[in-house]
Amino acid sequence: MKRLNGPLLELADATPVFDESSLPPVPLSMRVMSGECVVIETRDMSRATMFSDLCSGMVHLRNGSAHFMGMCWDDLDDRHRNALRGRIGRITRRPIWTDLFGTHVGIMFKELHHTTVSVPDLTSQTVRLCTRFGLPGIPVETPRRLSSADLVRVTCVRAFLGQPQLLLIEDPLEGSPVDISGAFFECLTEARDRGASVVWFVRDSSVWQPYRKAVSALWRLADDGLLTVRIR
Amino acid sequence: MTDRPTGQGGPPQHDNAAPEDILPNDPGSIAHGLGVPPETFHPDEENQENATISERFVYFLGTLGALVRKQVWFLLVILGTMWGVLRESVRPNSWRRTVRYEFQLTLSDVAGRGLLSTLVMGSLTGVGVVSQAIYWLGFAGMAKMTGSVLVSVIVRELAPILVGILMLGRSGMLSLAEVGMLATGGQIRSMQAEGLDPFLLLVLPRTLAFTVAGFTLGIMFSIASLTTGYIISRASGALSNSLFSFFYDVVTAMTPADYLLIPLKFVVVGFLVGLGCCVSGLTASNEDSLGTLLPRGFSRGILIVMTVSVLFSLKV
Repeated sequence: MKRLNGPLLELADATPVFDESSLPPVPLSMRVMSGECVVIETRDMSRATMFSDLCSGMVHLRNGSAHFMGMCWDDLDDRHRNALRGRIGRITRRPIWTDLFGTHVGIMFKELHHTTVSVPDLTSQTVRLCTRFGLPGIPVETPRRLSSADLVRVTCVRAFLGQPQLLLIEDPLEGSPVDISGAFFECLTEARDRGASVVWFVRDSSVWQPYRKAVSALWRLADDGLLTVRIR
Repeated sequence: MTDRPTGQGGPPQHDNAAPEDILPNDPGSIAHGLGVPPETFHPDEENQENATISERFVYFLGTLGALVRKQVWFLLVILGTMWGVLRESVRPNSWRRTVRYEFQLTLSDVAGRGLLSTLVMGSLTGVGVVSQAIYWLGFAGMAKMTGSVLVSVIVRELAPILVGILMLGRSGMLSLAEVGMLATGGQIRSMQAEGLDPFLLLVLPRTLAFTVAGFTLGIMFSIASLTTGYIISRASGALSNSLFSFFYDVVTAMTPADYLLIPLKFVVVGFLVGLGCCVSGLTASNEDSLGTLLPRGFSRGILIVMTVSVLFSLKV
């Protein structure tokens, strides 16, 4: 994966429209370079979801701009935006699973759509990730039939599959019915070694402490915007 | 095979743009639907009292415009998405693996699983309508008119309506419920966050699958009804000629325009039933549930089927 010279993700005084995002309508500025891991503490995970949407160019801005891979979301047409979003891996609290297909299709759906990787290659990548996260293989049942522990696992697999260049992660560890922290940290480190950036939203600071040494920056998302915090 | 996702730098080698008509102007809308009817024009009470005549006139026009837009909102959305489907369907880039997969799934459901229902309904129509028509035409001494009457009544008028209603009830409502639940549940928004355009993934393949299925089922319905009608008439003694001769009479009764209009009618009915159901589901708002979506979708679907039938009958 090529590393960009500039920031992979950049918010430059991005002021979201409050009505559609419920984010504080204050200028938000943040730069995330390739390979960095930024932790953002927020009490409200729905706000984290909307902030992820902002980083993905899905929230209208009153002022400022949001750039990903050197491109401003506002300057792109729908096709380019969708193509760029295909390079973002997300773990979100918003419902993502549908019962239209089996879980195996759901996991690989984004890669099947955005890339031309052959199905056998994609399957072997998925199997490797599933095994790493403690699954015996790729689940083929509909997501509704999976246990909550397995759902957490396949959500992580889905996010890390396809070597995304940006990971927007709403913390899957806190309150998880299963301990996946080992595999999760390994995948984070691997992704960063490839040059991917990570934005990790947490509610509780204790969650990211085991990974503290590798964290590049700590921010807090609050009513008055995005505040930088010194890592202790 | 390359494992490089496209979209970096130059023009992407894939991706779609759903028509702006159905894409949300409020991507962050907490209502996850892809659009809601325009709000009615609300007066500013204080300004109204002190308004001049010209301001009152402008306000009246605004109210009138909002009212009209609210009434024709769905029609405008359908027209926009119709153009979107036609435009995207001819682009090779639109037909990615995921879109083809959805197309195959929908086609096998609508045409494959709906075939038996269509044949049964066609047979019942043959028993109830075709055989009766043959009997009474023979009784009235107008047996030579049999072919043209059957073409006019069964193939041209009745088949598209019944097939449309069958597709609407059997598969259209299912599509509406699935897409509607995705929209109200937030999964549509999640798809967009991953660069998966719901228009390309759901509306386009499903609409085209309904289109193909509409033609297929329409032809099967016509064959089943005419064959059953012939068998019943032959058994009751109302007919004495062979099956081949009977079908020859029907085919020769068709005008050259019929060869274009009848398949076109099946295709258009299928296309609009599929599109109407998908769009109704995609435009569901947070207040919607299955209890509100299904009746609305069904009434819209029936309206679509009847409108298409009437317009074709008028040769519009």
